[in-house]
Amino acid sequence: MDNPLDTLRMMLLAVLALPLVCAVVTAAVGCCCPGLARRVALLLALIQLGLTGSLVFLAADTLVARAGWTLGTEATTTYFEPIAVPGDQGFGNNHLGQVHETTWSLLTFAPVPQGLPPAEVQFYVGLDGLNVWLVMLTSLMTVVAILISWEAIQTRPGAFYAWLFALQTGIIGAFVAFDAILFYVFFELTLIPSFFLIGYWGGGPARRDAAKKFFLYTLCGSLLTLVGIVGVVLTNPTPVVQHKDGPLAHYGPLVVAGQPVTLEEGPITFSIPRLMRNVQTWADYHAAQVQRSTESATRTPSAEAQQALTQAELTNDRHRAVQVCLFFLLMMGFAVKTPILPLHTWLPSAYGEAPIGMTLILAALLSKLGTFGILRVVIPLTPDAAFLYGLPVFGFLGAVGIVYAALCAFAQRDIKLLVAYSSVSHLGLIILGLFTLNREGLSGATLHMLNHGLSTGTLFALLAFLIDRYRTLDMRQYGGLIGRFPGFAFLLFVVCLASVGLPGLNNFISEMLMLAGLFEGQHTQTIGYGLAVAGTSGIILSAWYTMTMLKCVLFSPHQEPAPVGETPRDLNRREAVAFGVPAALCLLLGLYPQPVLDTIRPDTNVIVRCCDQARVRAGYEPSPAEVLVQPETDADALTVPPTAVPPLPVAP
Amino acid sequence: MSDPTNLALLALGLPLLATILAAVMGTCSTLAKWAHLPVVTAFAGSAILALLVLSKVMQATGSEVAFLSTAQTWFHAGNLQVDFQITVDPLSALMLMTVTFVGTWIAVFSVGYMHDDPGYARYFSLMALFVFSMCLLILASDLLLLVAGWEGVGLCSYLLIGYYYAKPSAAAAARKAFLVTRLGDVGMILGIFLFWQAGGYHTNFDKLFAHITANPPDSVTLTTACLLLFCGAIGKSAQFPLYVWLPDAMEGPTPVSALIHAATMVTAGVYLLARAMPLFVLSPDAQIVVALIGGFTAILSAFIALAQHDLKRVLAYSTVSQLGYMFMALGAGGPVSANLVVTAAIFHVFTHAFFKALLFLSSGSVMHAMGNVIDMRKFGGLRTLMPVTHITFLCGAAALAGFPLLSGFWSKDLIIDMVYQASEHGGSHATLYGLVFLTALVTAFLTAFYTFRAYFLTFWGELRTPPEAGHHAQESPLGLLAPLIVLAFGAVLAGITVEPFAHGFSNLLVKAPSVVLANSVLHVEAEATHPHFDFALAGISTLLALSGMALAWWHYRTGIETVPAALKSVYRLSENKLYVDEIFNGMFVKPAEWLAVLSRLCDGLLDGVARVVSFIPRLIGALLKPLQNGLVQFYALGMVLGLAVFLTVVVVRTSQ
Repeated sequence: MDNPLDTLRMMLLAVLALPLVCAVVTAAVGCCCPGLARRVALLLALIQLGLTGSLVFLAADTLVARAGWTLGTEATTTYFEPIAVPGDQGFGNNHLGQVHETTWSLLTFAPVPQGLPPAEVQFYVGLDGLNVWLVMLTSLMTVVAILISWEAIQTRPGAFYAWLFALQTGIIGAFVAFDAILFYVFFELTLIPSFFLIGYWGGGPARRDAAKKFFLYTLCGSLLTLVGIVGVVLTNPTPVVQHKDGPLAHYGPLVVAGQPVTLEEGPITFSIPRLMRNVQTWADYHAAQVQRSTESATRTPSAEAQQALTQAELTNDRHRAVQVCLFFLLMMGFAVKTPILPLHTWLPSAYGEAPIGMTLILAALLSKLGTFGILRVVIPLTPDAAFLYGLPVFGFLGAVGIVYAALCAFAQRDIKLLVAYSSVSHLGLIILGLFTLNREGLSGATLHMLNHGLSTGTLFALLAFLIDRYRTLDMRQYGGLIGRFPGFAFLLFVVCLASVGLPGLNNFISEMLMLAGLFEGQHTQTIGYGLAVAGTSGIILSAWYTMTMLKCVLFSPHQEPAPVGETPRDLNRREAVAFGVPAALCLLLGLYPQPVLDTIRPDTNVIVRCCDQARVRAGYEPSPAEVLVQPETDADALTVPPTAVPPLPVAP
Repeated sequence: MSDPTNLALLALGLPLLATILAAVMGTCSTLAKWAHLPVVTAFAGSAILALLVLSKVMQATGSEVAFLSTAQTWFHAGNLQVDFQITVDPLSALMLMTVTFVGTWIAVFSVGYMHDDPGYARYFSLMALFVFSMCLLILASDLLLLVAGWEGVGLCSYLLIGYYYAKPSAAAAARKAFLVTRLGDVGMILGIFLFWQAGGYHTNFDKLFAHITANPPDSVTLTTACLLLFCGAIGKSAQFPLYVWLPDAMEGPTPVSALIHAATMVTAGVYLLARAMPLFVLSPDAQIVVALIGGFTAILSAFIALAQHDLKRVLAYSTVSQLGYMFMALGAGGPVSANLVVTAAIFHVFTHAFFKALLFLSSGSVMHAMGNVIDMRKFGGLRTLMPVTHITFLCGAAALAGFPLLSGFWSKDLIIDMVYQASEHGGSHATLYGLVFLTALVTAFLTAFYTFRAYFLTFWGELRTPPEAGHHAQESPLGLLAPLIVLAFGAVLAGITVEPFAHGFSNLLVKAPSVVLANSVLHVEAEATHPHFDFALAGISTLLALSGMALAWWHYRTGIETVPAALKSVYRLSENKLYVDEIFNGMFVKPAEWLAVLSRLCDGLLDGVARVVSFIPRLIGALLKPLQNGLVQFYALGMVLGLAVFLTVVVVRTSQ
């Protein structure tokens, strides 16, 4: 293919479709010869990983280039511009010529006049900085999940791996979708495989109950999210101006040639980037109407002008109130999925009962669907409400979650549940980071999704080592494993340290960025330092329960429960790869995270600009502008010129 | 003028390389017993490089000396930009020299001390990683890069304290060390971000200092941020109330105690405050807190050290106490010019590194001979058995006690002088500084007493050895003694040669950028304030030290401890460490654990609530189910009744 973007498009479709094919193939193989199923599954998952890897590798340059970083000119868009969109009618072979939209329709609602965006649900998928690494993580973690299920899954392995691939399709689909309904469909699609994976292959006696609880709980939440999505779509149709050639979609300035523009409600749209523009335009429009009516009412005070002002204010208030309601509705599904306290009660049973491979997927990927949903849907579609209520309500819940889940984690005796609660604690920090709505916080939260997926996922994977050998995770039965299994102990140690946020490993970077986001002057003025302190307390709390667990399992006098089968040995080759590769990635991302941050940057900046507008509408300052500090690289010169210091009050 | 940053980078890189090499060698059983080779070589190489760096810094001219390496972005998003960049200035060069030099001799000592240990390669790999982290901490030119070294040091100390992992006490001590220092780090991270917010979004030292000194934030923010930063130092440098981890940390191998808990790691906090002097001098309130905490810690731990039976614990508490001295000195910055207090603190770091490493290694030699017994009640009179160790220990003890002309004498005297000057020029805080000064004097007396108590109990009186010693009960081999002899020369001579007459430290440190900036904030002309030798103060402190030693001789020369009946209760209090561990356990640790259990119970309750909510649809179903009973008469009755109600409502409404 001549056009590199066409290659990317085809690859993206392949990455999305391949897991489905894998599912069918694995199921078929599982039927004829079950013994072969896991090998086939591994092979297919590796192919998928290779494909995703090359997609990310090829897309990375384009993703970084979008910000105008190399040109020195900052982009100013306030809506997502995904690349590699199949069905993009753009021209040229770089991102500049693309329209970043698709023409692939799934369901058309009403015919729309020429020149207006179609009112249809589209097969709108694409890549941007926010999802590209998560897609990569999904493919990687699926391989890890297959590797650690190698011995554990003996009943109907074909079906198990087929469901795993089906789940992968749902997750990747939700990550790459840019159509609100398509996103929702993929989001819900993950439920069915999860239900069977937990309910049929689960380890504990209460697995069916746990699966049912997980299914109903998340479904309840996400149905409310569906209401929210429909609400956003209906209340934010395309803004239209009447032109002599017919109606035209209007996103530009609200005053043209000195004349205020009158907007009308056009056709509805489901495309998230378009919805973002619609939301911003309508919010600006209503605010401008109020301002204009106020001006005319003060200039020529009359009953009529006063009435117009009241009307405009009413419309504006109602619009905002609707957005606030929609914000909470939208949050429900994602709050359950993430989970945010107090909607986490499905988690202990689901994590505890699920087979370890599924627990890994739950912690590493499905929880990211929740936080990703906030990033992709909630904040962009309800920016005003997200600014006003995000940090005070959900930030508060996240902060409470950090401390509370850490305390719960400490009180657990089962290592799996300990890691499960620690995951909740870390996710609380992501929620805090997301709702800071500034560059540091959003970059940190987006990066932390990847980091948390890697570190917590690997931590669960490492538990498979113990499950395979001893069938128990009660930490009181273990002790001194560092001498018994040095390889395992080393990797467990490294991953635990990553999870604790030790510098040089991945989580440190993202945690520092999120904390920096919480220290933005605006936030500390309005809500104080409480959230920042709660976020920072995670540093000691995570160390508290993790080090207690390590002291119990790795240190202390040696003891181990009765093994299953022959005498347990240290890591075999399969396990060394399954644990070693992600652990090495933790180290790599801790030392050299900048490439990832550079790809994330343009898209977090889009959200920041979008939210800055919301801040201004709410009467606050925008978030601090980015100062591009180019470090001076003059090593020879004596640095620090003597600075003129103004006189200061000093104690005599 | 050639650039020393490349040399410093090499000095930083060698221990890292050694870490990896030693770790790789550890995987092969035949190579594992040679794992010390790369480490000792790397340490020695780093020490030589550090010496070269120092000489370049000394040769550099100008009122300010600092060399920066090329910046390499570590991470950057929004306004948080953190670079890999190292600073070579007088402060970091001196610290680098101290750490690598003492580290080398400790590594040499370890070769003999740790021989035949199953975790030989692991031990050396961690030692190298530790020195790497310490060097990174020292050389970092960015606060968050410093945090990276800072946490690395914490991690290595955790692993080295828990080196004998199968021992429950070692595992507990390791965890305690990590958690307690991390508690301080929480404050430190908060402080860093508070400064980041107030300091124009910089974490780079130079830029942050320049911004803060040019646009100082309000005093509450400044004091809070300084004190939060100090929290990190409290944790790492074992000050009250977070000193409790250090005495327990003696569970690790003895050379580890020497390296981590005497010579280097614990000085990180002192170094941080010296580095951040421009920030601290802006806030006199923060400075008096620093001085008071230092003073309180010094006297508290000196008191606890009086009645410890474990030789290493005596030394551990004396470390805490000496660190308190350093913070007293730093806290005097403000009333006293910055170059003097930094000189005093760093000079004490330097001399302390020698004599404390010497004391630990000598006690390691004793422990080696006594079959790992370190309780002073179980041995005594070793001076005939171990003559060389006896002499080296005596050198170290005399230096620690402040015996005239030995290294500890000069540095401690300088600190006492600083605190005295602060009490004269301390403004509104003069009285408090006076208190700190008195504390420093009392502590000097106590230090001499407990040091020589330990010395007499170990080496004087009748020869007694524990049964565990067996055939080991003899002088240690040359491999262990050589580092002791080298360090003993250091402990005796390092003070007098460097500072009191040559002014090596003060002349160098006055050119450190942070000191220059701090001085300019204080409007002090650096040239006018060379440290002077106050004979009256020196006389007082010498008198106190000698009387402490004399008292110890008078009471303990038999090598047997007897406690006068009148002092029994005081003795018991000191022996039980003032019950601080128990108090903290009851006040913080236990409640936190209860809270955790409570949270778990509460989580069950939340789950119950969710279950109740999920029961509502079923309940409604159960309530409505009887209505669907399949009897046509019942449905007809319902229809009629409904119609009647409807009609009644309509009639009533229309008739109104």
